[in-house]
Amino acid sequence: MSAGISRAEIRAALEDVLQRGVLSLDRGRYDEWLSLTAPELRYRITAYSPELRKDMTWLDHDRRGMAALIELLPKHHTSGADWLRQVVLGTVEVESEGAVHTVSSLAVFHTTFDVGDSHIDGGSSALFVVGHYDDRFRLEGGHWLLAERTVRLHTRQLGIGAHRFV
Amino acid sequence: MTFDTTLAWRQRLGGSNLPFVDSRIYTDPKIFDEELAKIWRRSWLLVAHESELADVLDFRTTSVAGEPLILVRGDDGKVRAFLNVCPHRGALLIREPSGNLKTENPSGAPKRITCMFHAWQFDARGRCLSIPRRNAGYQDRLRCGDVTLHEVHCEVGFGGFVWVHLEPDAPQLGEQLSPAFAALLPHLEAEPLEVFHHHKAIVRTNYKLWHDTNSEFYHDYMHHFNRVTSMQQPGYYDRRYEAFPGAHVSVSSMAVKYDAYEHADVALAASRDLSFPLLERNGWKLLDLFPGITINLRGSALRVDTATPIAADRVLIEFRGIGLKNDTAEEREQRVKDHNTIWGPFGRNLPEDLLGVTNQGLGMRRGAEGLHVLHGRYEESTIHDETGLRHYYTEWSRRLGRHANAPYDRYEAESSPLEPIERGASGAHHVTSNSAASGAGVHSA
Repeated sequence: MSAGISRAEIRAALEDVLQRGVLSLDRGRYDEWLSLTAPELRYRITAYSPELRKDMTWLDHDRRGMAALIELLPKHHTSGADWLRQVVLGTVEVESEGAVHTVSSLAVFHTTFDVGDSHIDGGSSALFVVGHYDDRFRLEGGHWLLAERTVRLHTRQLGIGAHRFV
Repeated sequence: MTFDTTLAWRQRLGGSNLPFVDSRIYTDPKIFDEELAKIWRRSWLLVAHESELADVLDFRTTSVAGEPLILVRGDDGKVRAFLNVCPHRGALLIREPSGNLKTENPSGAPKRITCMFHAWQFDARGRCLSIPRRNAGYQDRLRCGDVTLHEVHCEVGFGGFVWVHLEPDAPQLGEQLSPAFAALLPHLEAEPLEVFHHHKAIVRTNYKLWHDTNSEFYHDYMHHFNRVTSMQQPGYYDRRYEAFPGAHVSVSSMAVKYDAYEHADVALAASRDLSFPLLERNGWKLLDLFPGITINLRGSALRVDTATPIAADRVLIEFRGIGLKNDTAEEREQRVKDHNTIWGPFGRNLPEDLLGVTNQGLGMRRGAEGLHVLHGRYEESTIHDETGLRHYYTEWSRRLGRHANAPYDRYEAESSPLEPIERGASGAHHVTSNSAASGAGVHSA
């Protein structure tokens, strides 16, 4: 437990930063999202392949890499779908003073805007991926910052894929 | 209206000088069924890599032309392919995508393929080993020796890839593939390879549209990444297509200027010194194999796409990323990053490619106004030439007995589409293949 902070307080603070993070991403407020991350951020998206019987890494960036990816988004043709991330905080493990490991369940929904025939498909919502966030947060200046995230996807068929990240 | 747009639409762009295909070849379910029978059942198809079946009794399941298949490495080390169907009552034998037969299953009997329905058992060579209460039920009318799994042709080659052919009269694997592989093979066979990435997408388009995209680089304009790392680089427009018998085409190498991509130091892998054996640094070679396989070697990573047609307007595409079996951990990490940056499901190019062909599938949907789809760029077989498309549809027409640009007319193999088409004075046509079919446009009559 961190000095002077109860487990319940830690959990409540992490709930807050987790939800603010996904709302920032859903709304495309990437600067806001980056402000919730630590300078040493490492962001990975992984999946297990039962075809290969191996773990796979599908994205692996540090904070600068994520910032570059975000900056280049407008230059790529991509889906204009609205994304909705549903995250439920599961376990919270205090690893050391001011450092916690959390596992949350994740579901990301797309509401179609321009992928497919927008006249027919537009406005429909569909599940894009499910999985878990395996996160490490670090306390700095009274704020919990995301220091490491491994998105462990259960979904392995992602349609056309995405330039954005889940 | 001063200009009849309907009439203009129904006429061909460029009049008789530009080859085209009829968009209904991408939408007609009857043509699709014919393609499965006349092309997909009758071609050598890449279905896996040997590293996916590394150990004795490892298996993979897949499907080709609607036939479910088991690939299994026998106790003799040989990889065989069988229909994944029990000869007793037609149940699927193995449901998992991969595994090892040494693992026990609820029906028991490790080292055997056991049908969960009535527990008939087979070994990895397809031989029947057990029929429960055989004598009580069948007496001497049926014995294990009378029963086998249905084996289909299966070969391992060209870099350790596993190939299958469904028909008994299959030609030798190398017969048509060897010439096409000539430029790529040294890189694929210098060291054993290993698959590190597999993902798949079901896309709302016709399988040929996906292969078309892999067979032309004119769509570079869709990719910001290619526009900055390739198209502006010296030598880019010198890359050439080479056409081979069997409707395969390859593309010669160039060095990609990865550091032209913004934030390349962090958006891409940290170092770009790693390559593939015998490949120039940042080199790029590509091979398209009829009817739906693309092998793309770019820098440190090899990508292999395989299409599995599901319906006229649906295709399953599997994407494999491949490195060297003896990679160090650092080398593998870089190959994975390089692969993912461009070709992963969250990569820069792949979502754009899939979006592009989805848009084609929607634009040319069944029942929509037909379209003459242009395959008419001639640039001395260089990178924005569409010779790959013309080469493909010449073979497609021959196999199906239908002209790709007039699929409902009587097919006349003698007159077209195997003849080079008439073009204007600037339409020089460079084809390196040695057959009459090579690079010939879809007939323009």
